[in-house]
Order: sequence, then structure tokens, then C-alpha cells
Amino acid sequence: MTALPEWLRLDAMPPGTPPRAPAGNRALARTLSAIGRALAPLVCDAGSPRVGPIEDADPRAKLVAAAGLIVVATLLHGLPALAACLALALGIAAFAGVPARRLAPVAAVALASALVVLPATLNVVSGGAPFLTVWRPARGTLGPWRLPEAVAVTREGLLVAGRIVLRAAACAALAAVLAATTRPHRLLGGLRALGLPQGFVMVLAMTERYLAVLLQAARELHLARLARTVSALGVRREEAWVAAGVGAVFRRSRALAEEVALAMAARGFVGEVRLLRPARWRGRDWALAAGAVAAAAALLLIDRGAP
Amino acid sequence: MTPLFAVSGVRFAYAGQPPCLDGISFEVPVGERLALVGANGSGKSTLLHLLDGLYAPSEGSVAYLGTALSQRALSSAPFGPRFRQQVGFLFQNSDAQLFCPTVEEELAFGPLQMGWGADEVARRIEEALALLEIGRLRGRAPAALSAGEKKRVALASLLVLAPSVLLLDEPTAGLDPRSQSLLLEILEALHARGLTLVTATHDLTLLPHLADRVIVLSEEHRVVADGEAGPVLADTDLLLAVNLIHAHSHRHGRLVHSHPHRHVVAHDHGHDSVAGGEEPPEG
Repeated sequence: MTALPEWLRLDAMPPGTPPRAPAGNRALARTLSAIGRALAPLVCDAGSPRVGPIEDADPRAKLVAAAGLIVVATLLHGLPALAACLALALGIAAFAGVPARRLAPVAAVALASALVVLPATLNVVSGGAPFLTVWRPARGTLGPWRLPEAVAVTREGLLVAGRIVLRAAACAALAAVLAATTRPHRLLGGLRALGLPQGFVMVLAMTERYLAVLLQAARELHLARLARTVSALGVRREEAWVAAGVGAVFRRSRALAEEVALAMAARGFVGEVRLLRPARWRGRDWALAAGAVAAAAALLLIDRGAP
Repeated sequence: MTPLFAVSGVRFAYAGQPPCLDGISFEVPVGERLALVGANGSGKSTLLHLLDGLYAPSEGSVAYLGTALSQRALSSAPFGPRFRQQVGFLFQNSDAQLFCPTVEEELAFGPLQMGWGADEVARRIEEALALLEIGRLRGRAPAALSAGEKKRVALASLLVLAPSVLLLDEPTAGLDPRSQSLLLEILEALHARGLTLVTATHDLTLLPHLADRVIVLSEEHRVVADGEAGPVLADTDLLLAVNLIHAHSHRHGRLVHSHPHRHVVAHDHGHDSVAGGEEPPEG
């Protein structure tokens, strides 16, 4: 019978003083959870139902249409044209049945760009006719800076800010509609069909396929470590542990990549992936592309007539 | 008659590592059910990779139906594509094997690489899905499946190619009893059709279902036994020496004695039972 050490008795007392209370730091768990939520649309089960008339269109048509409209959005200057571009993108999203939550990044992009350009609306940053006074400084200086009589929002500044925010939101909305109406592997197939190098598309496809597996590996490492954590480690040791965890996930991903390469070779892969249903350009795809060209032309026309 | 596989004086080492196979020689006739058994790290999985031409031996040779498995042979037609069609490899890690976005595309991957027509590919997918009872998983992402479902999809992705040989690396690892039982039934049916099965495992309870012949690898990475499953499995000293079974102590009152111990799983008319099958006590 195996002889167990004396300290392994059930009634044995642990040596030393009891540890402090377990660490309350759940930053890593929250981070992993947030990454999981952010990646959910990418790693979602392809069997989940998606509806919408644009879903079945050839990914090449959708890519060309979205890329074309995004390029046009960057060329627009007038606020009405940019607003029309954003309205068009949101209208397509509504027509395609894209859920509102998939458009949340559009609001985030608009908010972020608004924060970035906010100072540019003030006459202390860029010149222009005052439109709305926000502050009358008692003294004419603020530290080393000389201030105007009144700090005000300018009409020119508002125009620039509106242009940047609308342009960013329109581009983000078009990209969001493309992502929400095209499954990642079809999107990558479309990119390949449009001539992107095979190696580049394969790397993206494998990244998309294995994100969920690697995220799960990271979660398991975190849980395994939590299960053995009895007291706070301190920031330095936490950082060291996170770095070691990243290294462990990297090693796993490398081993997995080697195994996947072998598994592909074992089933006859010699360089070019052949698809079960290669994309076919049909009448509706022509209509989609023609609609995008017409919309782009209309936006440019609106822009020429705008201030 | 030319053997299906002829392994001759094979030695293999991973880069910067000591050899994990040393002087391995054996032949596999067509239609045989062979098991490669050994403790963890004895080189079973590596040997399967060598049989599938995924690794090249450092010394010695592996031949398939008389043709040495070299990089040149595997990348030339018609041998390379024919070998890949005829020899299927079920990886232990199903996640590595299932790299396509949906189950249906997973099954289509091999046949499409072979350049088969779309109608033929679609027909085979339907039949393989039905055989493995995974039709409902057709549009699912492999990452979202359970371990048992993944294993069935992985097997289906091999069967669509109509292989004549299956190399199985720990095929039942991590499966629940029902999934195990279904997998064993399918493998038995495939063998009855004439498929050659080469299985790497350290689970002795599976061997009656998976093998007629057993090759035992030692922890020194050499073949220490090669023979019919029955006599090899009855050789307790051998199995103890290669760490496939362990000495187990019993206490009867004040008398303590030690004897080899193994577990046996009995399958009887659809009822699985687990029993402790023990050798007679030695002392």
C-alpha cells in the first residue's frame, strides 16, 4: 500500500499563519469576458439563424458595394451629403434586418470621433466666427496661454466636427452592415475571389476559426489559477502571471497550428482550398452593385450642390 | 502478398529531443485490426503520424503497398492523392482536425481537395451525415459541438473519402459511454466491410473491440511484443513492465498483499457494466 506523508492526514494542521482573504481582483476575468462578448459575433455558431435579403448575396458584390460607398464617404464634404450617406447605411441595415445591437459600434465610433474633434469647435483652437459663448475668462491669460475675450464655439469648428463625426459614423455603419450580413468565412471567400493572396486569407480564416478555442484556453488557465489562489498576489505577481498565461496560450496556439497543418495535409490539402459552394455572381448581385454605383453617384451629386 | 504498411528499422526524434521511436519494424497486412499500445509517451501517436506520411523517419523506412512514403512520393500523382484518399487519420484532438467553418464544409473538404464533382460530394456528405447520425449538425460550427459530436464529425470527414485504412489516435478519449459505444459499433462495421484499422491506445478495455493483433511499445520506445491480442493481453508480466497495468494492494484483515490489477469493461446486450477483473493473488 502506498505510504502517504504524515502531513497528508485529514486532521493535519497547515503550517504557518492562515492566509489573508482571497484577492478581490477580477480584472482579468472581466477582461476575458469582455473579449468573449466582443468576439461573439465572429465566433458565433454558424448554425444560428440569420435572416435578411442581403445575407444570400455574393460576398464579392457586397464587398465591392461597401468598399465603394466607403471611398465615396471619404470624398464627401457637405453635411447633407454625409448625413444622406449615414441615412443610406442605416436604411440598408434596416432593410437587411440587422439587429440594433450589431450597430452599437457605429454609435461608439461617432462618440469617440466627437470627443476627438470637440476642442476643434472652440475659437481657442481654430479661428472662426463665434456661434455660442461658453466662457468669459476674468483674466486674459490661462498660464502661458493668451485667451480671447470669450471662449466660444465657432460655426466653422462645428462644421468641421460635424463632417468628421458624420463621415466616421457613415463609414462605420457601412462596415457594420457588411459584417452583420456576411458570415466571416463567406467574407473571406469573397476577399479571396477578389484576388487577395491565399496565404493572407488562410491566416484570417484560421484566426476566425480558432479564436473561440484559444479564448476558451485562456479562460481555463484563468479558472485553474483562481482555483489555487488563496490570497492577493500583488500587482507585480499578477502581471507576471498574466504574462506567463499569455505565453502558455501562445504555446498552445502554436502546437494547435502545427496539428491543424498536419490534419489538412492528411486530407489532401496541397495549397488551395476548394469551396463546397463557390460564390456565383447572379442577377441580384448585379442589382446590388448597380444600386451601390447609383447611390454613390447620387451622394456625389448632393455633395456638389451642398455648402 | 505486398503488405499494406511495411515499417522497417524506423527511428524518429523530434528536433532537439531524444528518439521517441527506436528500431521499429513490423508489417500490417490488408484488412487487419491492429492496436499499438503503450504507456503515455511511448511513441504510439508519433508512429501513426509516420504511417500517414506526416512525419518522415530519421532512419529506416515506411512503405505503403510497396511504395516508400517520402515527400516526393506523397507530392506526386497519382500516388499522393490516392494515398490521402485511401488512408484516413483520426486525430486525438478533434479541434485540430475540424478546421472548417461548418460541419458540412468539413465533410466536403477532403473530397473537394480530390477534385470530385459537386454532385458526388453532396451525395457522400448526405450519406456520411446519416451514417454518423449527425445530420442535425450540418450547418453548425465545429467549435460549438460537444466532444462526442466533434469526434463523430471528424470520423465522418474521413469516411466521405471512402478510405481503405483508418489510423485512429486514442479514438475514444474523452467520450461518454454512449458515444464510445456508437463509435466502436461503427468501427466494427467498417472492419466487417474490409477496412484496415490501426489504433493507438493505452486503454486495454477497448482492445477486444478494436484489435485482433497488438503491438506493445515500451517506455524505451521499442517494440516489446507483437502478436494476437488474446495472448499479449494475458501476459501480465509484460503489461506490468510497460506500465500498462499496475500492481494493486489489497488488505484482508491483517494480511496485505499486492497483485497486478486491470479494469475490464463488459458490453452485454446493450448494457454497459464496469467490473473489476483481477488476476489471482500472488501472495
